[in-house]
Amino acid sequence: MTDNRWLFILTMMCLLIGHSAAGAEAKPVAAVSTQDMTPMQTVQTRIDQIVAALTDPELSKPANKVAQRDRIWEIAIPMFDFTEISRRTVGAKWTTFSEAEQKRFTDLFTRFLGNTYLDKIQGEYHNEKVTYLKELIKEPQAVVRTKLVRDNAELPIDYRMKKEDGQWKIYDILVEDGVSLVQNYRVQFQTILQKETPAQLIERLEVKIKEQQAQPAPQTK
Amino acid sequence: MKPILLAAVLMVAIASWLLAGCAGARPKADFDPEAIDPQMSPAAETSPSQPPAKPSTEDSSALSDEEASLLEDDSGLPEDRSEEIYTVADPLEPFNRAIYVFNDKLYFWVMKPVAVGYRAVVPSPARGGVKNFFYNLTAPVRIVNNILQGKGQAAEAEWARFLYNSTVGVLGFGNPARNNPKLNPKEEDLGLTLADYGIGDGFYLMLPFLGPSTLRDSAGLVGDAFLNPVAYINPWEASLGVGAYNQLNNLSFRIGDYESLKKAAMDPYVSFRNAYIQLRQSKIRQ
Repeated sequence: MTDNRWLFILTMMCLLIGHSAAGAEAKPVAAVSTQDMTPMQTVQTRIDQIVAALTDPELSKPANKVAQRDRIWEIAIPMFDFTEISRRTVGAKWTTFSEAEQKRFTDLFTRFLGNTYLDKIQGEYHNEKVTYLKELIKEPQAVVRTKLVRDNAELPIDYRMKKEDGQWKIYDILVEDGVSLVQNYRVQFQTILQKETPAQLIERLEVKIKEQQAQPAPQTK
Repeated sequence: MKPILLAAVLMVAIASWLLAGCAGARPKADFDPEAIDPQMSPAAETSPSQPPAKPSTEDSSALSDEEASLLEDDSGLPEDRSEEIYTVADPLEPFNRAIYVFNDKLYFWVMKPVAVGYRAVVPSPARGGVKNFFYNLTAPVRIVNNILQGKGQAAEAEWARFLYNSTVGVLGFGNPARNNPKLNPKEEDLGLTLADYGIGDGFYLMLPFLGPSTLRDSAGLVGDAFLNPVAYINPWEASLGVGAYNQLNNLSFRIGDYESLKKAAMDPYVSFRNAYIQLRQSKIRQ
């Protein structure tokens, strides 16, 4: 825990910027903190911040559920390169999307992924620990290998990253030593795009997001 | 017949354990001629001819094949016309989708409610013990498949783990081998062995009750059943019952996982198919 001091500073900054910072204004936090960091440092800094938000006694109160969610999103969104993620999940058909469709798709897919995974993390965090194994760098790409430890079970998670403007950003997550999330979505989108137009795929995403918003965050455990 | 088999297994286990001193230490060469690849002795561990056993944490300079392949990633770039995704044909898709719907209903209407009730009644340590017991019982499957793939060290480790957990772990209900990374090799099965021999997936199959599989992996399941003691329980109804109980017990640890994965998908059938294929490919690479 050599990063304790950092974490403290970052936490203080988060507190200072606080809830008044809506989506767009969250950027300064990201720019200051992970510029020129190695891929592993970037991932670790962010995950530590998210864990801090999850374990924060004030934010963990049921009444502050929304504030906690906003905090997690604020930290997590700059970790990822959603344009790259969208490009790669659509694959070869990306060029058949109009520019407006590409943008719309990226926005929707970002929300969809956030709703799916960030809300799951918020709903189901049980003091899992992350072990950082190693980073493989071949600029502008890198892989950060980690293990998620929960009770007795370990889940290998690898983050594929890409450097952009001096910052490493995640564009794919591999679980169980090589099961790629991007590939999983790509195969699904390809199946849909074989029969349907980009506009119809976007519509499907909109419907899916409405469904997600209709039901409260998952509380299965 | 069953008590005799159990007794025999137990006696061999205890005898070998006594011979080996403690299984937590490195297994000796006189352990069991069958379970040990002749070339594998502790001294041979670092010889270059050794098949790659590569915990990525150990040397940071050289990249293993697996790591190199992790870094080489051009897949999905729209500019890249060559589709690199490994896919398995699904000629039976309409049939498979029907089975998927069946399994899905089975899960929500039967398995999940039963597992939730079971979890509420049986405390976690007891369920953990049952899980360990069944896992330990299928050690023959993993030992034999490691041997068939020439993974002597892993076969040795599985064997040592089996002895250790069967004795110190009291018939495998405990898992004292858990904390020793050397005693926890990757799980092998006949489907992986066949893949190792160059046999392809064939086509995708959704099996009722059992879930995603391929032609090759289904054949592997049948073959592995011969090495699974549970399959020899008489009568067959009891055997099925015990097998189902094992599934239920395992499920009690991961209620909710299926729902999350399903919720995260745009087309759950395609998502599960791809996840299964990717997972098997990742295991085959190792």
